[in-house]
Amino acid sequence: MKINFTLNSQNVSIEIEPNLRLLDLLRDRFNLTGTKEGCSIGECGACTVIMNSKAVNSCLILAGQCNGAEIITIEGMESDGKLHPLQENFLKSGAIQCGFCTPGMIMSAYALLIEKKNPTDEEIKEAIAGNLCRCTGYKQIIDAVSQSAKEIKINT
Amino acid sequence: MIPVLEIFQPKSVDEICRLLKSNNGDTRIIAGGTDIIPGFHIDSPRFAGIKRLLDLQLVDELKTVSINHQIISIGAAITFSDIITNPVLNSYLPLLVKSSKTIGSTQIRNRATLGGNFINNAPCADSVAPLLVYDAEIKIKSFTSEKIMKLQDFLVKPYATRLNPDEIVTKIMVPVPSTDFVGDFYKLGRRRAVSISRISLAMLMMNEDKIIKEMRIASGAVTPIGTRLYDVEEFAKGKVCNEEAFKEIAIKLGERILAVSGLRWSSEYKIPVVQQVCYQLIKGIERRSL
Repeated sequence: MKINFTLNSQNVSIEIEPNLRLLDLLRDRFNLTGTKEGCSIGECGACTVIMNSKAVNSCLILAGQCNGAEIITIEGMESDGKLHPLQENFLKSGAIQCGFCTPGMIMSAYALLIEKKNPTDEEIKEAIAGNLCRCTGYKQIIDAVSQSAKEIKINT
Repeated sequence: MIPVLEIFQPKSVDEICRLLKSNNGDTRIIAGGTDIIPGFHIDSPRFAGIKRLLDLQLVDELKTVSINHQIISIGAAITFSDIITNPVLNSYLPLLVKSSKTIGSTQIRNRATLGGNFINNAPCADSVAPLLVYDAEIKIKSFTSEKIMKLQDFLVKPYATRLNPDEIVTKIMVPVPSTDFVGDFYKLGRRRAVSISRISLAMLMMNEDKIIKEMRIASGAVTPIGTRLYDVEEFAKGKVCNEEAFKEIAIKLGERILAVSGLRWSSEYKIPVVQQVCYQLIKGIERRSL
């Protein structure tokens, strides 16, 4: 089947097998390997992407369900070679160790910031509850998201 | 492995009913997909033999909420995220909203749907107990018929319902609850977020002059499927609101749940806990009723 959708602000059209997951479509067909496969059952959040402005697990969505959708992956976060404030702050705050959860974590945080300009720590925790990190202990991640919210507010 | 499928994205309920018309079981409706896709992944026999999926994402009529003649109609494919932010549901069905907040993670709540929760009919489906205490009914359509059924009657046993292969649940219909009801929902999981329920209780209570006029209780996870506990409700009716009566109701509830679920390895832990949860819920509701 053929699907058309928007991927990181570009219109794309591709012929796919109907049993392909969105996760496989991104990684194997578009070579966007920033999106990670962890548990494959919607528990770990490593595969989180933005679909129509909301965080979703790309392992739980079939590519055939994405016709007309707007998808943003971690690769769509930088603009003109400049990292997104979330990416900058993850680096600065030491919110990254092994890095496997980072793309999913940043996409969940990004979805939160689309909805709430001024999230509380509690709201940040809730937004990333579906993203497991086994290295950092979450504190640095929460700090990075909180700092990004402040910077984005100043710049808009 | 995910089987090779055909995926359709119908635009209306009529189109879905047409596509389901001669369904012998190889066509399945997919809403959020948060049960079906992991089910495929582990080759679950529950999803074996599916060759065609009907995706509900583009069917807007299945996502609306409206009130008409004191009946709240909720489209079956509404997501839990949309339930949580819906003003009508927040003012009339707070227990449904509270339970929706406890389901999965943000990512799951952005996809998973109310209809999907009870059609999958897992014992731990968190939205079921609130819907039961609100006396929810559901509308089921097929190409040739349309019927309305009580949600409790629709649920047969774990992972089984009365839905036929040619049918779709289109709406959940809930009578606007009396403003005299005060209620609460409690979920006990093994951790605070993204947890699977071990025990959940939904309760509505109406008091008049310190007498329990009406009580509605439903359980989840601790019974094989979400269940209204009518005989406990009957037992509570007319009791004077005091510590002793609340304890009696909680004890009765524990006995009833043990009778429904049978003795299990976890009963020794769960029964006292469910009794304590019940007692705390009644106490909290009573405080808020004053």
